[in-house]
Amino acid sequence: MRCYGLTPIHGSECRFFYPNATRSIPIPRPNSRFLSSSVNFFPSKLVIPSPRTPACSLRATINDVFVTEEAAGLSFYELLGIPESGSLVEIKQAYKKLARMYHPDVSPPGRVEEYTKRFIRVQEAYEILSDPRRRALYDRDLARGLHLAFSARTQYQSDEGMEDRNEWTNRWQSQLSELKRRSQNRDGGGDLSWGARMRTRRDELANEL
Amino acid sequence: MAEPEYTVASDSETTGEEKSSSAFPEIAIGIDIGTSQCSVAVWNGSQVELLKNTRNQKVMRSYVTFKDDAPSGGVSNQHTHELEMLSGASIFNMKRLIGRVDTDPVVHASKSLPFLVQTLDIGVRPFIAALVNNVWRSTTPEEVLAIFLVELRAMAEIALKRPIRNVVLTIPVSFSRFQVTRIERACAMAGLHVLRLMPEPTAVALLYAQQQQQTIHENMGSGCEKIALIFNMGAGYSDVAVSATAGGVSQIKALAGSAIGGEDMLQNMMRHLLPDSEIIFSNHGINEIKSMGLLRVATQDAIHRLSFETSVQIDVDLGNGSKICKVVNQEEFQEVNREVFEKCESLIIQCLRDAKIEPDDVTDIIAVGGCSFIPKIKNLIMTICKRQELYKGINPMEAAVCGAALEGAVASGINDPFGSLDLLTIQVTPLAIGIQADGNNFVPIIPRNTTMPARKELAFTTVHDNQTEALIVVYEGEGKKVDENHLLGYFKLVGIPPAPKGVPDINVCMDIDASDVLRVLAGVVVPGSQQAAIPVMEVRMPTIDDGHGWCAEALHRTFGSKLNLVTVQKKI
Repeated sequence: MRCYGLTPIHGSECRFFYPNATRSIPIPRPNSRFLSSSVNFFPSKLVIPSPRTPACSLRATINDVFVTEEAAGLSFYELLGIPESGSLVEIKQAYKKLARMYHPDVSPPGRVEEYTKRFIRVQEAYEILSDPRRRALYDRDLARGLHLAFSARTQYQSDEGMEDRNEWTNRWQSQLSELKRRSQNRDGGGDLSWGARMRTRRDELANEL
Repeated sequence: MAEPEYTVASDSETTGEEKSSSAFPEIAIGIDIGTSQCSVAVWNGSQVELLKNTRNQKVMRSYVTFKDDAPSGGVSNQHTHELEMLSGASIFNMKRLIGRVDTDPVVHASKSLPFLVQTLDIGVRPFIAALVNNVWRSTTPEEVLAIFLVELRAMAEIALKRPIRNVVLTIPVSFSRFQVTRIERACAMAGLHVLRLMPEPTAVALLYAQQQQQTIHENMGSGCEKIALIFNMGAGYSDVAVSATAGGVSQIKALAGSAIGGEDMLQNMMRHLLPDSEIIFSNHGINEIKSMGLLRVATQDAIHRLSFETSVQIDVDLGNGSKICKVVNQEEFQEVNREVFEKCESLIIQCLRDAKIEPDDVTDIIAVGGCSFIPKIKNLIMTICKRQELYKGINPMEAAVCGAALEGAVASGINDPFGSLDLLTIQVTPLAIGIQADGNNFVPIIPRNTTMPARKELAFTTVHDNQTEALIVVYEGEGKKVDENHLLGYFKLVGIPPAPKGVPDINVCMDIDASDVLRVLAGVVVPGSQQAAIPVMEVRMPTIDDGHGWCAEALHRTFGSKLNLVTVQKKI
C-alpha cells in the first residue's frame, strides 16, 4: 500500500489524544514545499513520494491534527492551530498555510474528496474567525462551554432561524449519511466518511504488517 | 466541467513511468481566447513562454473566415487589411455570442456586425451566418470557436513538437455555467480537454502571486499578505477581482464582471459618428456591409489614437456617397461612452465591497486587457483606489494567458526546482446559484463569491395542501427575479407525502466539488419522522441544452405555481 501524506504512523499514541478547549494543539509545521524547494515534504499533484521518506514525522503531525479533530471535534482555533487570542494576521497566515496543505488542488491522486471536505472545514473556520462579529458570537459560545462542532456552523452564518436551521442541518446530514451509506456499496467505499476511511486504512495497514 | 480535472491526477498512476522517463511531460497549455484577440502560452521548464504562429505573431485576431472550401481562422490566415475581416464572410466576437439566446441584449447589440445575426426574440439560439458567394451560410459560435481552436492547437503542436490535449482556458467572470459548457463543447470539438477554466482576472492574480513569491525569494523578505485589485477589460467583457496573496497562495476575495467592453465603445462611437448607422446597415446588403466595414475600421483607429492623443481627425468615405469628416476629442469620447465607464466604476466598487477591502488596503492595482490603455479607464481605477499609479510588472496584453499557462503547469503536476510553481489559487463562485421559490423569485443557495469547493443548503416547503410534487428550477445570476438569471436546469421531486401546505420540509443542497462540478440535492422530510420520505435526488447541473430561454418560459407557462416552493419562514 502506498503511503500518502496522511497515513498514520504506527505506535503513535498522540493520534488518540483529545485536546481540551483551553489548550492549543501543536501547530503543524510549515509546509516546506512552499518555503524551500530543496526538500519536498508535501506531494504535489502528480508526484507521488516514495513510501518511506524522512518526512514521516511531519506527516504524523499533520495526520494527528485531523485524527484528533475527527475524534473530539476541534474548535475553530484548534483547527487553524492558533491560540484563542490569535490576531487577524495569525488567522490569515494559518488559513493560507492550511489551504496549501488541504486544498483539493494539492491533494494526492484519489483523495480529492477527502481533501475537499477538509478544506471546506478550514474555510469555514477561517470565515468565522476572520469576521469580527461572527468571531465574537463564536467566542461567546465557546466561553459558555458550548464546544461546537462543524454541524453547528450555520449559527454563525445567519442570525435568524438558528434553531430551525440547526435542526435541519442535523436532519439533512443524517439523510446524507444514509445516502452515502447506500451509495457506498456501489462505489466500493469511495464515499466513506473520513474517519471510517482512516479506520479501514489502519486496519489494512495492521493486516499488512 | 465536463470531466473532473483530477482525472489527470489519477491518470498519473497508470502513466507515471512514462511521464518520468519522457523528456517533456504533458504540460497543459494556457489559452486566452479574447473577443478580438487570442494567444497561447506554455511553461517551458523555467518560465512562461508565448507561442508564435508561422508569421511570428504572439497575439492573433480571433475570427474565422468561411470560404468555398475550408474555413480558415486568424491563426493561419492573415488579412492584408483589416477590412477583409469585415466583408461578411468572417465571423468574429464569438466569445460574446457563445451560449446566449436571442433575447439577450448582447446578441441584439451584435446585429450591426458585418456578418448576420438575426433574432426572433423567443429565447432560442440566434441565427448567425457568414456570407459566402452571396449565400448566407449558417453557423454557431461553438463551431466557429472550434475551428479557431483547431488552428491554435495545430500551431501549438508545431511549436512544441508534441500532441496537445490538455488546456487551461481563461473565461470572463460573467460567464454562466451554461456558457462554460458551450466553451467546453467547442474545445471537445477541437479535440482539446479542458483541464481547468479560470476567470481571466484570477489568471492575472496567479501571475501576480508568482511574481510576489519570486520577489520574496530574492529579498528574503517576510511573506506578508498583499492585496491586489485586478481590472481586466477587453473587447467583449470587463472583469474585476480582488485577491489576497501570500506565500504563493492567491486567495480570490471577490469577483465581478459584465459583458461590456471595447466593442460597446466602438459601437457607441460609430453611432455617434453616423447616428442612423444601425438602420442603414441592418439590411446587410453588399454595399452596406462595405460601408459599415469602412466606418468600423476608421472608428477603431480613432479610438486607438485617442489613447495617446487628446483629439483625432476622422476622415472616411463610406463609398455610398456619404463622407464623415470629424474631429473627436477625449471629452467627447468619454461622454459618448459615459455609461460604459460608469459600469466599470460600479463593478470595481462592488468588487471591493464584496471583498470587504477598503481602497487604502489595496497594495497593487493591476489593469490589463486591450481597454486598459484608455486614459479614462486608468484614471477611474486610480481614482477609486486613491492611487497615483498602476502596477507595472505585468504586460497588459499577455497577463491572462501567462497566468493560464502557469495554472496549466501547476495543474499538470509540474515541479519547479526554484519553487516558481509552488502556487495555489483559491477560487470563488462568480455568480450566485439558487432555485426558483416564493413565486418568481430567485433564492440563492450558494451566494456569489463563495469559496470553492463549497456545499450549502436551504430549507423550503410546499405552497399547496397535499402537494406531492415540486419542481426544482436551478438558476445562476444576480437578479432578484428568476427571469433575470440564467437557467441551468430543473428536475421534479415526486412522491412528497400528502400534508397540509407548509408542513413537508424540502431541503435543497448545492455542492460544487474540487473540479467545479455543480450538483443539486433535494430531499424531503415530514416532521415527526427521522427518515427521509423519499430518496434524495442528486442531479448534476447544468442539465439543459440550447434554447434555455424558451424552456424557462415553457416551464412557467405549463406549471405556473402548481409545483412551487417557498422558503421556510424564519422563526424567532
